Formats: sequence, C-alpha cells, structure tokens
Amino acid sequence: MINVVVIFIILVFYDFQKFIRKKEPVRVFVLYSFFMAASLIVSLLLAAGKRPSSPSQWIEAALRRFGVLK
Amino acid sequence: MEKARISSIQMFLLLSGFLFGSTVILAPAQGAKNDAWLAMLLGGAGGVLLMGIYAAIASLNPSKTLVDILRERMGKVAGNIVAVLYIWYFIHLASLVLRNFGEFICTVTYPETPIVVVIGLFAVVLLYAVNSGIEVIGRISELLVPVIPLVVLIISLSLITVHDFTAFLPILENGIAPVLKAAFGFIAFPFGETVAFLMLFPHLNKKERLTKIVVSSAIISTLLGIMVFFRDTFVLGSDLIAHSTFIPHLTSLLIPGLNVESLVDINLLIGGGVKVSICVYAAARALSQVAGFDDYRKLSGAIFTFCVVLSIWLYENVLEMFNWATSIWPYYSVPLQIVVPLLLLLLSSKKKNKVSKADMKS
Repeated sequence: MINVVVIFIILVFYDFQKFIRKKEPVRVFVLYSFFMAASLIVSLLLAAGKRPSSPSQWIEAALRRFGVLK
Repeated sequence: MEKARISSIQMFLLLSGFLFGSTVILAPAQGAKNDAWLAMLLGGAGGVLLMGIYAAIASLNPSKTLVDILRERMGKVAGNIVAVLYIWYFIHLASLVLRNFGEFICTVTYPETPIVVVIGLFAVVLLYAVNSGIEVIGRISELLVPVIPLVVLIISLSLITVHDFTAFLPILENGIAPVLKAAFGFIAFPFGETVAFLMLFPHLNKKERLTKIVVSSAIISTLLGIMVFFRDTFVLGSDLIAHSTFIPHLTSLLIPGLNVESLVDINLLIGGGVKVSICVYAAARALSQVAGFDDYRKLSGAIFTFCVVLSIWLYENVLEMFNWATSIWPYYSVPLQIVVPLLLLLLSSKKKNKVSKADMKS
C-alpha cells in the first residue's frame, strides 16, 4: 500500500514540476489529475485486496443486457 | 499537427508488427480447432477488406487524423463524443496487450516475479519510445519487426523432423458454424484493431501507396498466422492445442536438443511493444486533439500509468482473460471497428461526390 502511494507521489511530482515550469493550461492539469487519481484509487483498492468490478465486467453486463450475448 | 513523416516500409512494418502483436503467442481462431486455417483464410479476407476501408477513409481525408475526420463528418459535439469512445478503446486495447504480455512472461519465463513489475517495466520502456515520437517508433519497427518472421521460420524449420502432416484432417469435422465464428473473431482480433492507424496514416510520406501497404501487410500477416497454425498442429496435434494456453511457446519447447524458448519471448516483446506503443500514441494524440493542446507527450505518462493499472484490474486470472478475448471482445469491438468506419466512409464519399459535382458545374 505504501509502495503504491510512494510511486504515485514520485510520478506526480516529476510531471507536475514540468507542467508548472512550462505554464501548461488548466485542462492539462485536469486531465492528468483525472488519469492519475483513477489509477491511484484502483491501485489502492487492488493493493488492499478489495478488487472493484472491472470495465470488462461492465462491458460484458452491458452486452448481455442488450441481448448481444446470451 | 505533428510534422513527423514515416516511409512506406516503416508503415508496412508498423502494421505488420501490430498485426503479429499478441497473435504470435495467443493463436487466434483457436475455436475452430482443426479448421482454424480455414477460419484464418476467411477472416484474413475480411480483414483485408476492413483494412481497405480504413485506407479508403484515410485517402478520402488526406492529412487528417481520426479525430479530425470524426469532427468534420459528424459535427464537433458528436465527433468529440465518438473520439472519446475511441480514446477509451485504444487505452483498453493497450491494457489488454500489456496483460497478455505480463501473463505470458509470468507463466513461462519469470514465474516468481509479480506481474505488475513485469508490466510496469515494459511500460516504462514503451513510454520512452512513445515520447520519442512516431518517427522513432517507425525506425525501431524497421529494425526489429523483421525478426518476427525470422524467428517463426527458425522454429518451424527446427521442428520439421517431428511433423505429422495429416494432423489437420479431417476438414470441417464440426461443420461450418465454428469456422465462421472463429473467422469473425479473427477479423476483430487483430485486423479490426488497426483502426488505431487512422491516427498514424496522415504521417505517411507517400500517401498514394497506402492501400498497397495496408493490403500487403494484411495478406502477409494472414499467411504467417496460417503457417504458425500448421506448424503447431503438425507438431502438437489438435487435441493438445485445445488444452494449451500459450501454444507457440509449447511448440518451441519441443525442438530436439535446442532451447529457443526465449525467441518466442522476443517475438512478443517486439510485436506487443509495437502494438502497445501505437495504441498509447493514438490515444494520447486523440486526447490532445479533443482537449485542444498541441503536444500529446504531456499526457502519455498518465495514460501509460492508467494502462498498467487497468491491465491488472481487468481480469482476475489468465483464464478469464482468454475467455473475454475470444467470446466478448469481437462483439464489443464491432461498433468502433466496423460501424463507425463504414459511416465515415459513406459520409466522406458523399462529401467528395458533392465537391466533384460542384467543380464540374463551375
């Protein structure tokens, strides 16, 4: 769990200092934060052994609901 | 737009590397058992047609990426929404290939190493390649992709003494239905996945050669796939193939007095590397265009991080991965691989007809 947080802190710190130095627009920060936050949340849940239902399961359920799969 | 240019041979090798990708270890069309060669032949014909459609879209919209074409033909709002779906699709595809690679390496080569370490290290190398630009990926493919058929040839020739040339008989033992189903799967994986190249085709320096390049790489990949199938069937027999996970790897273990196991790893490293790089490049470029900034590199690191996490999150085990790839992936891919490209082709042709009629009147 701590390893995951440390890796993400290093990655975010490394990229954010580049973004700030180059004065990137807000949307770059927003998109970057979205991907990293989603990755961090899922990583922490996986590390804690609480695997959330995955996109593969959502897609499978959706295809079954539409009758594409039986 | 990025001003990078790639030559015809580089595009051909990128396409071929992408098509070989995970197919060199996963043996597509396996559902048709003995008749997989027939399914590959039919699927290959469909694949050539599908890739021809992608080439036609690119030819009708020269110097435009998939996102530009979507916005121009569907309008800005609808185009951006469909572009976001494609971004998700490319990220999902990259994650699937990363997982294939991780499962293979952790099953056969490094069973003690955690899968996240294998996938993470692979992703770091590929991130460097993607950030170096499409020209660099093209040059790497020029250097490495020719190794794939060479390795297939070495393994095939080394096993010539243990071949049973009647192992693929009888033909159509279970009827035509499993063949057609496997052929459909073979179109979706790997041919339909080349829709990602619509983000790359504008970089081709000689655009008039595009159709020729696309068709020749599809034909060569199909023939190589059929060759791998016959080799594996002649050596292992269809019963053993039906119960195996990584078939080409198992075949490579049977070479008398020679250990070429690592050559199969190299094949996956090259093919999978090209495929993941292209997918992440396409996703990052598309995202930068949708969000309205120039440099796709700004988000490539975040996308790769997400891909690594997604690849671990997607499946609980290797069996779930194989089941999903064969029974769900082809149906999930239809809208983005076939429906939207057909619609784009229709809209692009209509626009071109209008323009040529207007030119004739004036």
